[in-house]
Amino acid sequence: MEDILEMITRAVMKELENLPPSDAAQVSASPAKGPSQAAPPAQEALRDLSGGALVDLTSDAMVDLTSAAMVDLTSAAHKAVPTLQNPQNPEALAGMKRRTPARIGVGKAGPRLRTDTMLTLRADHAVARDAVFRDVDPALLGELGLFSVQTLCQDRNEHLTRPDLGRRFSPETTNELKAKCRQAPQVQIYLSDGLSSQAVDANARDILPSLLDALRDYGITAGTPFFVRFGRVPAMDAVSEALGAEVTCVLIGERPGLATADSMSAYIAYKATVGMPEARRTVVSNIHKGGIPAVEAGAHIAGLIKTMLERKKSGVELQL
Amino acid sequence: MDSELLSVGIDVGTSTTSVIFSSLLVRNTASGFTVPALSIIDKKIVYRGGIHVTPLLDESHIDAGRVREIVAGEYAKAGITPAEVSTGAVIITGESARKENAAALAASLGEFCGDFVVATAGPDLESIIAAKGAGAQQLSQQRGCTAVNLDVGGGTSNLAAFCCGELCAKGCYDVGGRLVRTDEAGAITYVSERLRPLLEELGFSLPLGAPAGEEGLRALTDRMASLLGEALGLLPVTDRLPPLQTAGSSAFSLKQKIDALSFSGGVADYIYHPAKDWRRYGDIGLLLADSIRQSGWFRCCNVVPPLETIRATVVGAGSYTTTLSGSTIFYSGEGLFPLKNVPVLALDPGTERSCLAGECGALREQACWFLQQSDADNLFFCLRQTQNPSYREVGALAGALAGAAEELPPGQPLLVLTRYDFSKSLGLALWRLLKGQRPVVSIDSVQAGEGDYLDIGKPLMDGMAVPVVCKTLIYG
Repeated sequence: MEDILEMITRAVMKELENLPPSDAAQVSASPAKGPSQAAPPAQEALRDLSGGALVDLTSDAMVDLTSAAMVDLTSAAHKAVPTLQNPQNPEALAGMKRRTPARIGVGKAGPRLRTDTMLTLRADHAVARDAVFRDVDPALLGELGLFSVQTLCQDRNEHLTRPDLGRRFSPETTNELKAKCRQAPQVQIYLSDGLSSQAVDANARDILPSLLDALRDYGITAGTPFFVRFGRVPAMDAVSEALGAEVTCVLIGERPGLATADSMSAYIAYKATVGMPEARRTVVSNIHKGGIPAVEAGAHIAGLIKTMLERKKSGVELQL
Repeated sequence: MDSELLSVGIDVGTSTTSVIFSSLLVRNTASGFTVPALSIIDKKIVYRGGIHVTPLLDESHIDAGRVREIVAGEYAKAGITPAEVSTGAVIITGESARKENAAALAASLGEFCGDFVVATAGPDLESIIAAKGAGAQQLSQQRGCTAVNLDVGGGTSNLAAFCCGELCAKGCYDVGGRLVRTDEAGAITYVSERLRPLLEELGFSLPLGAPAGEEGLRALTDRMASLLGEALGLLPVTDRLPPLQTAGSSAFSLKQKIDALSFSGGVADYIYHPAKDWRRYGDIGLLLADSIRQSGWFRCCNVVPPLETIRATVVGAGSYTTTLSGSTIFYSGEGLFPLKNVPVLALDPGTERSCLAGECGALREQACWFLQQSDADNLFFCLRQTQNPSYREVGALAGALAGAAEELPPGQPLLVLTRYDFSKSLGLALWRLLKGQRPVVSIDSVQAGEGDYLDIGKPLMDGMAVPVVCKTLIYG
């Protein structure tokens, strides 16, 4: 009996210790009110904006709020904080949030998203749009020693609205490719912006040398790498025909989602031809910091290309 | 496309020895559009052996010959030959692990049982294995709660806590059901030295040969039960607890509130189902079960039934010790496997940073020192900080590791383990640098730290991943 009493006392003491000072004061002043009910609505809204910190509007600290509120809404650190108030099991929620970049544990304001969630969503959408409309950094292409060619698209708008033009080259461009590149290589690797120039900027520096070095280790000869602006995936078929490569592999920016705009895919095909079925392409997607790291993707794709050359197949025909 | 691994679990405990076989189902869980991700998706127990009394030659030696006979008998009954077994663990637990010939027994059993069966021990690891076998990890993951398992055996009580599926505390104390033993006539035949301070505190002694009085023994087991309450953090800790912490184990320290408490081990059955005659096994196990069930802290807890009681440890050893590496890895030849008992050299953050800058001096020095200290002829370089390295950094790391590898005896493979996913790229870079001077194994996505030993099995499913067992070895 004695140890039960002692346990209860200890438990109560522990709970009191764990309460933040202000909440503890509120509890002792008006035990019937929970800490969240005690906060006036204006302060509630501010709590939303600053990600949980309660700010007194009437105090001088308001001045600091502007600088304190200058947080990067799209940062992982900002998104890691659950904004759901009073979750029944905070540890379980934190555990779930660690496992997914999805917007869980955000709570709601009536039937709508809360201000913080809404702003973050719009910030993420802005990042995605930027990734699509931007060009790949020319300095990067110089650093990697890549020359540039363009599909039949004349500008970004056409690239987005005319996918059919993004998969073809003019006769002049085809001749340029033939003139500047090694003919009939075992494998032709090239980069393309696709729907995210940012993905190329984020990954090219690491994936390209990793892939080319690994291919050399396997004794596979790669053709001359280059960059295709305004490219769609099937442009690889035209490249394959122009250069007569046995395997063609394009490293291309994926259409950005609201989780990341850095994601790149590798589409790889054995003896690709214009108009071939899509099923003949093998794809490795999700190449970015939160997916498969670029250096590791390069090493993996090299192994995949090796298998493809051995079995002379790609896509769904290539049972791994 | 699935692959099955037959796994054996063998537990040689203070009081009982048992064997189980389980089948681990391995599948590539990634979609066809991403890199493969092999994982163990199902574990099924295919054979449950009997519970045998652990044969002893005397107080300090296990009868290795008879243990081997028991194990061989179970293999025969299950209709399984050692050659069919591809993974598993022999675990020598509780007081048995402190017997003088424990290490030799583990090694000989390991060799007999299959090509890649590891010998493993250490009280903390035992706590984790038992808790997994009892289902505490699964429960905490499914319910998003804190689940604690208390495995009360003959010599020790092993505690492990999981919070949302993650291990959050572990520990082991010398509290068990066979620390006092009696003969058929009810006379005391053995009292563990570890109980002396408790008996002094209680103010009586248990002389050998004297009849065992129920009242005195109950007072003792009541105190033992309250010590378990202290260990769990449910009662204020007294001076008696720290000295009872098992040698080589951690002190169990849990910040979270216990949402679910389960019991496993030989004593557990009698906690859940009271027995009438406490003298049945000639020890204090049943009295201890009564004392635990009747203690205040027990009644305040949400006590849940475990998946396994007496077999929790052996099921844990058979089903939960094998993990898989990441699915993009590098090795220069299949003949290198299995690798057994390779000690881990965990790089401190400072050394890892200097390696990323391409400097190998500090690492080389550590490798040299480590090989001398551990008296091993190889080691696993374990990188735990680096995440998402650039290709330039991978090259620098490879340079530093290749430099440090010169400290290894000639012909020994260079073994590298990274916590995060970049081992294939690193392995290829190492292979390129070493130009065939020595074999290379580079794997990732396995957590290991200082003091751990690794066993690596033969590659699975077209060589995409390797089975890994991470263990701590502490005997005697």
